[in-house]
Amino acid sequence: MRKTILCLLCAAGPLSAGAQASDSDLEARLDSLEKQWEIELNTLVVTGTRTPKMLKNSPILTRVISENDIRKTDATNISDLLQTELPGIEFSYSMNQQVSLNMQGFGGNSVLFLVDGERLAGETLDNVDYNRLNLNNVGRIEIVKGGASSLYGSNAVGGVVNIISRDDMQPWHVNVNARYGAHNEQRYGLTAAFNAGRVSSSTTAQYNHIDSYDMKHSGDYNRFYGGYNVNIRERLTVRATDRLKLIARAGYYFRQRNAQESSRDRYRDFSGGVRGIYTFSEADNLELSYGFDQYDKSDYLTLTSSDVRKYSNVQNSGRAIYNHTFAGKHILTLGGDVMRDYLRTYQFTDGGHRSQTTADGFAQFDMNFTDMFNIIAGARYDYFSEAGMKHLSSRLSMMYKLGKVALRGSYSGGFRAPTLKEMYMDFDMAGIFMIYGNPDLKPETSHNFQLSAEYTRRLLNFNVGAFCNLVDDRITTAWSQALNGQLYTNIDRVNIAGVDANLSWRLACGAGVRLSYMYTHEHVRKGQPYVSSTRPHTATARFDYSRKWKNYGLSVALNGRFLSRATVDEYTSLTDYAETERVTYPAYTMWRLNMTHSVWRGINITMAVDNLFNYVPKYYYNNSPTTNGTTFSMGVSVDIDEFFNKRK
Amino acid sequence: MLKRYLLPGAAAVLLSACNGIFGDIYDDPAGEPDTGYGFVIESENSMPGTIYIDATDYRDWVYLNFGAASAVTLDVDAPAPERWDMAVHRYDVKTNGGAVLQTEVSDFGEVALLPGAAFTPDVWTTGTIVTDMSGMMDGNLEYAGSFYNPVLSQWLDVDKSTMPPVYTLSGRVYVLRLSSGDYAAVKLVNYMDASAVKGFMTIQYVYPYLP
Repeated sequence: MRKTILCLLCAAGPLSAGAQASDSDLEARLDSLEKQWEIELNTLVVTGTRTPKMLKNSPILTRVISENDIRKTDATNISDLLQTELPGIEFSYSMNQQVSLNMQGFGGNSVLFLVDGERLAGETLDNVDYNRLNLNNVGRIEIVKGGASSLYGSNAVGGVVNIISRDDMQPWHVNVNARYGAHNEQRYGLTAAFNAGRVSSSTTAQYNHIDSYDMKHSGDYNRFYGGYNVNIRERLTVRATDRLKLIARAGYYFRQRNAQESSRDRYRDFSGGVRGIYTFSEADNLELSYGFDQYDKSDYLTLTSSDVRKYSNVQNSGRAIYNHTFAGKHILTLGGDVMRDYLRTYQFTDGGHRSQTTADGFAQFDMNFTDMFNIIAGARYDYFSEAGMKHLSSRLSMMYKLGKVALRGSYSGGFRAPTLKEMYMDFDMAGIFMIYGNPDLKPETSHNFQLSAEYTRRLLNFNVGAFCNLVDDRITTAWSQALNGQLYTNIDRVNIAGVDANLSWRLACGAGVRLSYMYTHEHVRKGQPYVSSTRPHTATARFDYSRKWKNYGLSVALNGRFLSRATVDEYTSLTDYAETERVTYPAYTMWRLNMTHSVWRGINITMAVDNLFNYVPKYYYNNSPTTNGTTFSMGVSVDIDEFFNKRK
Repeated sequence: MLKRYLLPGAAAVLLSACNGIFGDIYDDPAGEPDTGYGFVIESENSMPGTIYIDATDYRDWVYLNFGAASAVTLDVDAPAPERWDMAVHRYDVKTNGGAVLQTEVSDFGEVALLPGAAFTPDVWTTGTIVTDMSGMMDGNLEYAGSFYNPVLSQWLDVDKSTMPPVYTLSGRVYVLRLSSGDYAAVKLVNYMDASAVKGFMTIQYVYPYLP
């Protein structure tokens, strides 16, 4: 029966190379795929609990984008990747073509982005610099949706995205890669890693460039601002003793955007840190870390060749985490952070600066009563010196396995403390209006409820879920008649609810499919305008096929995303909220076809067709895709160490 | 060794890092020489000369007198001074009964006037000289009725089709025929100060200009 289904599936599939294979071949391939699948389900994830936990055993639903998935999308940065992989995520433009995230109704400042568990300094219009998050040498990306402030504190209101570097286990590994595409888009990457006894090191560098170009039609934006960026990172690990592991990291990032002829927008980041993990016994370990992150913005004035800094956010943070395992299966995690946050910005009076200290303590108990039943309970207490603000966040998550079905239920709290910018801004918006900070802001809070059911059988995985977020005191700007300007303020409750469904299925012949759909609804009180910009229906799809022969491998992936139209109410006046007009943003779908040929010993050639069906917006809204139609790109990636590996 | 050098060294690094590192890779606008506003006289009869003016205020005209090398700032509603040649409001320009020709060149030495070249006089406008931007988002800009020169005002193109606007200097030399019959040549070389604040205009000029 099993063989029959496999053969039928493969014969029916468009890529039926496997259909002619013998039964024993199919059996062998199926076994191999099942093993690979098992490995993926056994992937250790850390974001939901801060301790390694098998993906399939985590009561906190975690979506993992694997290194293999990243390769199949051929994405350059996190925004390309997340939009391709997940429904309910949209990156669009806000003012001045700055990138802005909407993830299930939450904006960029309500989704916490981490790199190897460390938060990022700096923001522009409430979003971190997503260009910093390139995908060179990324091992996997973990996404936990819903509030996660019981572990991560402020900003984890709508979810956490944790980008985790690849751990190279080989004695040495060198990869060089390059890609060339439309609008003179160039991407060059280098990874060099080694493991020598107790020392291992990983160095990555990436350079990206793209020209500015005019859009085909007019709109909210009519020209794409090009530029280039450089990202260099080093991570050094020393296993000083069998019990002590030390990890040091350093990073440099530079981006230039060519929006104006006479001034270039420049963004820089300097980061570094040390982390020590001491294992007292099998049941106890302690982690101490220090991190530094400085994000600067400057204007390079071409007329005078001067580079004038206008913004600097410096974060120094220290952290301690202690884990104790009871009875070999229940894990208690205790931890705390201290952070000094310094901000100098042109948006403060006379370009001044402010700083504050934040401190927190957290506890989490991961109770694994049986293989079938798991509970995680956690709480965290945060303190912010400048606002004198304190906040308690909590979580309770459960998982119960019933045969091949895993049922998960979760409550989690999220909050976002008002930032220094939101408290102290004093900014003249080009003589048009003033924007004032508000030191009396309350924190934005969310109560998040999630239910999900996951069915896994052999090479099939299907899960459905529902979520509800009750968001109070969301922080935004509103017109103040008293000040005759924009003022940061808290607004009434916003309720966001939705459902999602995901199907992932692999066939023995090497083909696979992944389909994901999400419905999101923001509830507004009757009679109130619907000012949300969230699209209600979104979906992503991937159809892929891969096969290896003796000296050749082929991988084809068709990735698509669908975003429904959004009909929203927008205020007709900046200073008076009496009238709104209804605006409809059109639906669109984007497809990308990648084909990778593994031609010889670690040499991979990728050809891609982006925007396969030549979608061109008639009007470029800020949430329209930045495309003038179908484009082509071609890239090559070489694993130099493969040249020296003996062939089996 | 550890106590004497490493720990104090590490502490110094950490403390200095609190407010950031590598600050000296940037230029400090406060450290720029203060040239003051008006006509920058470097030496007698040194041409082209430089004029640096603060035209940031939407309610001001800055009146320039080439002969007297003077710059006077007055409210848009105030009467003009007795003698002036051209005036600047933000990026808009008007002349005192003069007319302007846009050349094709960026170097004063390369200007060659063809006989019969058409000079454009000022025109009256009620919808160009913005005096109050505060109602912009609601579509309620306030304007002052004024003469302005549409050719000389092309020295800086401000494309407002997207926000923020895109600024492009023409880089061209403009020949200004004064009402007296004399000529001046001007070129806008910058519209920002050292801190990138817009509305600070650096103008190069040659006066008298002999065609």
